[in-house]
Amino acid sequence: MKTKNNKMSVFKKKATPWLILLLPMAFTVWLKYYPIASAFYISLFKYDPINPPGRFVGLANYIGMFKMKHYWEAWGNTFVFLFLQIALCFFIPLIQALLLNELIRFKKSLTTLYILPALIPTSVNVIIWKWIWHPDYGVANQIVKFFGGSPQVWLSDPKLVKFCIIFPGIIGGGLTVLLYLSAIQGVSQDMMESAAIDGCTGFSKIWHIILPNISFMIFIQLIMTVITTMQLLDAPYMYTGGGPSGASTTQGIFIYNAFNKDMNYGRGSAASVVLLFIIVILTMVQMWFERSEEG
Amino acid sequence: MKNKRTSRIKYDKSERSLKIVAVVFSLIFAGLMLYPLIFTVSSAMKDNVKIYEVPPKLLPGRGNSVSLVLDYSDIPYNNEDELKDIILRDNVINMFGINESIKDDFIMEVKVFGVKDGETIFYSRAHQMKLQMEQSYGVYKSTSIKPEVLLHEDRYIRANNSIGYEFDINGISKKVKNNLGDEYFEQGASALQSKFPSTGSLLSMGNEKKSLLNLENFKYYLKMPQNIYPNNERISQLGFMTFVINSIIVIGFAVITQVFLCSICAFVISKQLSERAGKAVLLFFLIAMMVPFASIMLPQLIMYKKMGAYNNYAALLLPFLYPFGFYVYLYKGFFDQIPRSYFEAAELDGAGSIYLYSKICMPLSKPIISLIALQTFLGNWNDFFWAWMVTEDQRLWTLNVALYNISNNSGTRQNAIMGLAVVTITPVILLSILFSNQLKQSVISSGVKG
Repeated sequence: MKTKNNKMSVFKKKATPWLILLLPMAFTVWLKYYPIASAFYISLFKYDPINPPGRFVGLANYIGMFKMKHYWEAWGNTFVFLFLQIALCFFIPLIQALLLNELIRFKKSLTTLYILPALIPTSVNVIIWKWIWHPDYGVANQIVKFFGGSPQVWLSDPKLVKFCIIFPGIIGGGLTVLLYLSAIQGVSQDMMESAAIDGCTGFSKIWHIILPNISFMIFIQLIMTVITTMQLLDAPYMYTGGGPSGASTTQGIFIYNAFNKDMNYGRGSAASVVLLFIIVILTMVQMWFERSEEG
Repeated sequence: MKNKRTSRIKYDKSERSLKIVAVVFSLIFAGLMLYPLIFTVSSAMKDNVKIYEVPPKLLPGRGNSVSLVLDYSDIPYNNEDELKDIILRDNVINMFGINESIKDDFIMEVKVFGVKDGETIFYSRAHQMKLQMEQSYGVYKSTSIKPEVLLHEDRYIRANNSIGYEFDINGISKKVKNNLGDEYFEQGASALQSKFPSTGSLLSMGNEKKSLLNLENFKYYLKMPQNIYPNNERISQLGFMTFVINSIIVIGFAVITQVFLCSICAFVISKQLSERAGKAVLLFFLIAMMVPFASIMLPQLIMYKKMGAYNNYAALLLPFLYPFGFYVYLYKGFFDQIPRSYFEAAELDGAGSIYLYSKICMPLSKPIISLIALQTFLGNWNDFFWAWMVTEDQRLWTLNVALYNISNNSGTRQNAIMGLAVVTITPVILLSILFSNQLKQSVISSGVKG
């Protein structure tokens, strides 16, 4: 009798954690894993929203999509965005953090100020910058005119639109600055001091001591930037809705348009799956590096 | 401590030039960061003409207030109501006339005084934004501003009721200020006489500058949604606050669910499962987070629509009802540091999991709770696309969706939408300055941007 009771209590002790986890795990499956699986599933059908899932077509959606010029243009746009993001904006927070670290006074209040851009939602940023880029009343054209250039139409110009969407990020700031700053302050003080005795100060200190020591952080941030820029959706959609003539259509907007404009759920899902694979591979690279640093 | 240590080292030339560069560029960046904000606040305080000034000025300038005094001593009338009717007609004509004919002079307030035998009998006051609202969305929606249009049928009565006025034939206590300038008298009087003739004769037209008028703009911006979406019951009651409340509901729900769900899961993973099982469960939650939103928005929308979670609060809130892997991970790191002996002692006394969680784990985890709450806020404050996809009804819009839609509404003026943007971000900025230390701590200890 006693042993049976014991067994019961052991069983109870083993089962309770799983019982508690059951609901959160079930919700995760339901709200996250099921949609992923159904993206795979739908991408194999010529999906009919009225009697789902419609006709099975195998990989035809993928093949059809890969033959679309528009799809590759969307990838091209995504990579141009990525290039601009890295060329224009990626290094700004790093530079800001390096310089903030050198400040003696106002370091704290300036650090607080540098958080501001992270708190301004994209919707507000879009409102502000749409007005700055406005061809008739905006500041941008005033500056161009001041330097003797001819006024541009900015967001309505297919060649300039990507630049206009990425450029607001040039003010830098945000939470990345904090991360860099804490990494810089984590560089061992002894190393700095001995370097200073050897005459390694000023810019050469940044170049030879600080940067090599935080290169890991920079690399992680680089991958994070690549991952977030690949998924770029809100900003180009709010600025231009993907236009003019598809010049700012990213993968996200391509997927959205596939089912919103073309009502082609199969193609939208196929594009979703391809994007998913690429992001997952990038994320795994990031995790692998993070782990290799820890270990 | 650190400052002391570095200052002991004497700065050589290259160190000094670095310091100078650091100060100069940090200040330039600070200026760059502040410029869009100042520009927005200033634009919000400009009027409908100034906003289109080229080149745009950084400072809005102070608004002008104009006081018109009309004399009714010699006007014949049969009874009180007839006189009132005459004055009301004059009031509308003068207000909109001034607003139309000298609009380049930044007139933000028009006051109309009616006097009879030296006694003030009528007073009415309108802010420029109020008049603009009536023209954009109200009584005079899509009409041209001419006397015959202004007085058409009962329009002028409705306009007066909306603007508000005081009338008493025996006199009211309002008096015109004495020390007003008269810069606009000539220009205004001739314009009014030729285009907007009134029955009472114009005695004076004083002006003064008032900074408060610029701030008053915001009062009308907040009411603007009521005018754009007059058929929506909730918005006509609450105005812009509808969207603020929705955002609070969504983010509040996200914070509460994440704080609780993630802590429960992390507690079980950290304290009740074997290390291997715990790792597997954590990975299960983390993988779910890796999926980019763009990839699952489409199947998610199909699924939610099938469940009936579309165009209602369920659609906005359900996406937060599972534990976010990253927060579970942060919690687990914290719980791992609570010594096992705390729990073992309680377990020997026969305490169950729920007791261990609620009486031992939770009271110890105040710092991590505030970290998770801040992270959830930062991570979801910017959410737009999902909320935008699943809401057709305006009363469900969150701030981001509302700002996007209002700014795309063709009737919306730039100063108004800038004003709403300012209203949206000001509380968040103030809060973050207040809690800046916790915020910095939270970002640094979690190591990932929100």
